[in-house]
Amino acid sequence: MSRSLVGSVAATLVMVLAAGCGGSSGADGKVELSLGLFSDFGYDKLIEEYMASHPNIKIEQRKVKMEQHNTQLATQLAGGRGAADIVALEEGVVSQFRASKDKFVNLAEYGAKDLKDQWAGWKWNQGTADGGEFVLGLGTDMGSLGLCYRRDLFEAAGLPTDRKEVAKLWPSWADYAKVADQFTARTPNVKFVDTGRNVYKAILDQTEEGYFAKDDSYIAEKNDKVKTAFDTAAALGTKGQTGALEPFSQEWNVALKQGSFATTTCPAWALALIKAGAGDAAAGKWDVTTAPGGGGNWGGSFLAIPKQSKHPKEAYELAKWLTAPEQQKRIFKETGNLPSQPKVYQDAEVQATVNEYFNKAPVGQIFATSAESLKPTYRGTKDSKVGPVFGTALTRVEQGKQSAAEAWAQALKEAQDAAK
Amino acid sequence: MTAVRTETEVAPAASVPSSGRSKRFRLNHWDAKYTPYLIVAPFFVVFAIFGLYPLVYTAWVSLHDWQLIDGNQGFVGVDNYVRLFADANFWNALFNTISLFVLSTVPQLLAALGLAALLDRGLRGRAFWRAGVLLPNVISVAAVALVFAQFFGRDFGIVNFLLGLVGIDPVDWRAETWASHLAVSTMVMWRWTGYNALLYLAAMQSVPKDMYESATLDGASRWRMFWSITVPSIRPTILFTVVTSTIGGLQLFAEPALFDPGFAANNSTGGSDRQFQTLVLYMYEKGFRLFDAGYAATVAWMLFLVVVLVAIVNFSLTRRIAGKG
Repeated sequence: MSRSLVGSVAATLVMVLAAGCGGSSGADGKVELSLGLFSDFGYDKLIEEYMASHPNIKIEQRKVKMEQHNTQLATQLAGGRGAADIVALEEGVVSQFRASKDKFVNLAEYGAKDLKDQWAGWKWNQGTADGGEFVLGLGTDMGSLGLCYRRDLFEAAGLPTDRKEVAKLWPSWADYAKVADQFTARTPNVKFVDTGRNVYKAILDQTEEGYFAKDDSYIAEKNDKVKTAFDTAAALGTKGQTGALEPFSQEWNVALKQGSFATTTCPAWALALIKAGAGDAAAGKWDVTTAPGGGGNWGGSFLAIPKQSKHPKEAYELAKWLTAPEQQKRIFKETGNLPSQPKVYQDAEVQATVNEYFNKAPVGQIFATSAESLKPTYRGTKDSKVGPVFGTALTRVEQGKQSAAEAWAQALKEAQDAAK
Repeated sequence: MTAVRTETEVAPAASVPSSGRSKRFRLNHWDAKYTPYLIVAPFFVVFAIFGLYPLVYTAWVSLHDWQLIDGNQGFVGVDNYVRLFADANFWNALFNTISLFVLSTVPQLLAALGLAALLDRGLRGRAFWRAGVLLPNVISVAAVALVFAQFFGRDFGIVNFLLGLVGIDPVDWRAETWASHLAVSTMVMWRWTGYNALLYLAAMQSVPKDMYESATLDGASRWRMFWSITVPSIRPTILFTVVTSTIGGLQLFAEPALFDPGFAANNSTGGSDRQFQTLVLYMYEKGFRLFDAGYAATVAWMLFLVVVLVAIVNFSLTRRIAGKG
């Protein structure tokens, strides 16, 4: 009896240990590919079609929140296993992952360089390293900038509501601030903008160099553009014209529903978030127009293949297909994610697209125009570490905890540490 | 077991004659001696793999410049620790951790004690109440945090609405240090008070009833009986809850993380000025947002030492206090 007990204890242990290591090859001889994504890439239907036309391939999508996606990917790359065969890299963190490019497949090995001309030049460059020799990822969408505003709240404040008229109100961000003053003077109980942080980010996304110069040296403290952007946003905060909301948070959603702010910065992908937050009751109340200061880019992603993938060739074929112009066009029509390929966004059908929810705004045309004129910001390797420091600084101003000058001084100090 | 023991006792006389019997005896002897170890072994094996090994490995990582993705960048000795001691954000996180721990644990254990005393009396529908107090603990922490984060909303939160009814200005719960600590502690208390109350209740039920009877005959009040009989009798359980709450409280992560709306946007610092950033949140920021695994490992080790230290202090303190009764 005791011997069998010893045996069973040992057997249990072996089982416990063995359970940790599962197999990964397909049972039916199919090549199994996984896609690691966040939010909505609009791939559901496309993947079904791809599997139908490639019977030997089975595709699994893993969708998590973006924050989780980035940390998960980092640990999977560090651990050498567990990452999906194709992973999405968001524009804000792509430079961070580019610094660890030896963990990724150089897509040039599979002929990615031949595809170069599909994308806007800047988008292609963001996804490559070593002067274009190393292709880290193929571009998906982009976040061309617009500005969203509530027609009813503008009307109540005696401002024009037509999107062309509204665009004329704010050629520059200084003009935008003046409109904010008028708005607040007439309707003091409504906030003019949701958060100073997004205003700051939008202004910065319209400059070619932000925290880092193109040689990746840290320049935040001597770059006047960073300071100007910060001061413009902080002034709105000091005057209480912002809702002091964490962008895209639960409270932001509630505020959307309550209609407690009148404008917000709108990269193409934000339309879906606004619609989801404000709900059907606000249909037709929101509208989109040109952002002050011209075009800019915020967000957009790339598809990359970690070196640990067992089927890099098949993964590459899939990524290439998903990012091809025909598919990009379909995704735009279904989700509104703006393609980063000039041929697609200049396409007549794309240009003619209107968004019913946003008072039938011609979003195709607005975002494509913004895309044409945009000057993409150079993202330094440590951009994603430095950026949030200035965001929290603006929150401190909005919360009334610090003056703009104090917040700026503290942010510079923290940013310097983060940039080390 | 008894069979084994008797055989062991008679063994000296019986072991000489037959070799067959001695073999069996030796087996039995071996059995009696080692089986208990074998039975507890799985725990220690699992602990060694999932507890001890990470602990030692973390110490090793903390002595290196270690980037999360790129791995080891070279040995730096105690540099990370030197940096840590000069790091104002570390001390701020330590202060927040201890403040949150005290704010949540002390009222929580006192409330649990009171709740247990109430449940110990003959209530109608006893099973219902007893199961009910455990409910908050069963609900996922994410759900609890989500609901509480809305309660404590600045613009449209219920708490501010209620405060407004009695003429108090709305509080920006995430901007002020004390307010944020209060809010996060409330969340922790909500989750753990019932759990501890049930532990106390179980202990109270094993207190002999005749002690209460004789105390009643002596004319002792309920209050007096509670502090002079109940509390000293359940001392071991109180010690246990104090130690477990210390460990749990100092490792606070999910509640403050989910209370911070920035957490979802991956720029969580536990408030705009680290108002409620705990040590674990700071470790997370360093390791998983800034990818500085070496420094995060250093924070983890300091946290480990703090937990050990505070647990020892609390253990001896409570033993002394509870011993007075």
